[in-house]
Amino acid sequence: MAIPMAMATPTDSVTRVWSMSSLRSALPSCRLPSSTSRRPLTLRLPVSAPSPLLPSFSGLSPVNPLISTGLPDWKSFESGFKIIDGGGRVYAMRHGRRVPKLNRPPDQRKALLRGLTTQLLKHGRIKTTRARASAMRKFVDKMITLAKDGSLHKRRQALGYIYEKQIVHALFAEVPDRYGERNGGYTRIIRTLPRRGDNAPMAYIELV
Amino acid sequence: MSVNNRDPLVVGGVIGDVLERFTRSIDLRVTYGQREVTNGLDIRPSQIINKPRVEIGGEDLRNFYTLVMVDPDVPSPSNPHLREYLHWLVTDIPATTGTNFGNEIVSYESPRPTSGIHRLVLVLFRQLGRQTVYEPGWRPQFNTREFAALYNLSLPVAAVYFNCQRDNGCGGRRT
Repeated sequence: MAIPMAMATPTDSVTRVWSMSSLRSALPSCRLPSSTSRRPLTLRLPVSAPSPLLPSFSGLSPVNPLISTGLPDWKSFESGFKIIDGGGRVYAMRHGRRVPKLNRPPDQRKALLRGLTTQLLKHGRIKTTRARASAMRKFVDKMITLAKDGSLHKRRQALGYIYEKQIVHALFAEVPDRYGERNGGYTRIIRTLPRRGDNAPMAYIELV
Repeated sequence: MSVNNRDPLVVGGVIGDVLERFTRSIDLRVTYGQREVTNGLDIRPSQIINKPRVEIGGEDLRNFYTLVMVDPDVPSPSNPHLREYLHWLVTDIPATTGTNFGNEIVSYESPRPTSGIHRLVLVLFRQLGRQTVYEPGWRPQFNTREFAALYNLSLPVAAVYFNCQRDNGCGGRRT
């Protein structure tokens, strides 16, 4: 883009004030939309003043460090994006982590727990390792709570978790009678002798 | 004392489902072949085909005891609507002896659980006199509490339970 450099000569050679008019005359003429009489056909929408309830959203765009906003603590010249996270802390140790991993990746873990809850609801009492028994309590209680509610949505949620649909229908039929008065704690764990093959601590888990 | 919550009969749910809370006063030893039955023991049906050897304690031979063996988890622990199936009933057992000296009015039926893990409870009651206990009409829908109330057996004097599940795993997914 050719910038006229030597064309804009100072008009007044005495005071050496540079005026815009010489520059404007040198540049190709452009029609300024606000000053011309003939308006282009545009749709004028009524633009209301921004409501006082919602302050203007400056967005998540990074603050340009070249614009001086007057903030005194702008020291670095990084990207300046706002950091949005859940506030999660990452420790090197296991402190405070309560989800049992059961030595399996997450998809297998979920499948294992689904299978175990299905079998417990089918047979009423199963024998498994202590870690698995105490891990599945939460999900068995969840299924019984869904059955206590009894609506169609909850039934479909239960059908999405339990592998056999007869068990879901039987559960929804009998839970109100059986656990109507009981609030929580629908399972009982009884520790038992270790398994012979690998000395794993075993437990019975049963529906109360 | 914390014994009440740690008693295997309470933990296993036997006290509550089958019996009331009682204090144990007589020794009860049940032996299947070489294995002595302790609370919560895991036994397969192939090992309990024949009746066990039962020895009871006590001192006075003039006291008579009744032994009842029931299964509270029929047909399945998740749905026990036939609750308490009577497997064995022996009356007039003198103290310090065994079931061989008693009167077996309901013969021993070997448990064959089809679904789930069943508890099998052996309860010992003290009789008021000889020949005061009679057999019930049928085996399922047996109620131990009502039976004891009917024949004035009061609270049990001893009990033990064990677990039994079918031999060949859970039987697979039946439809």
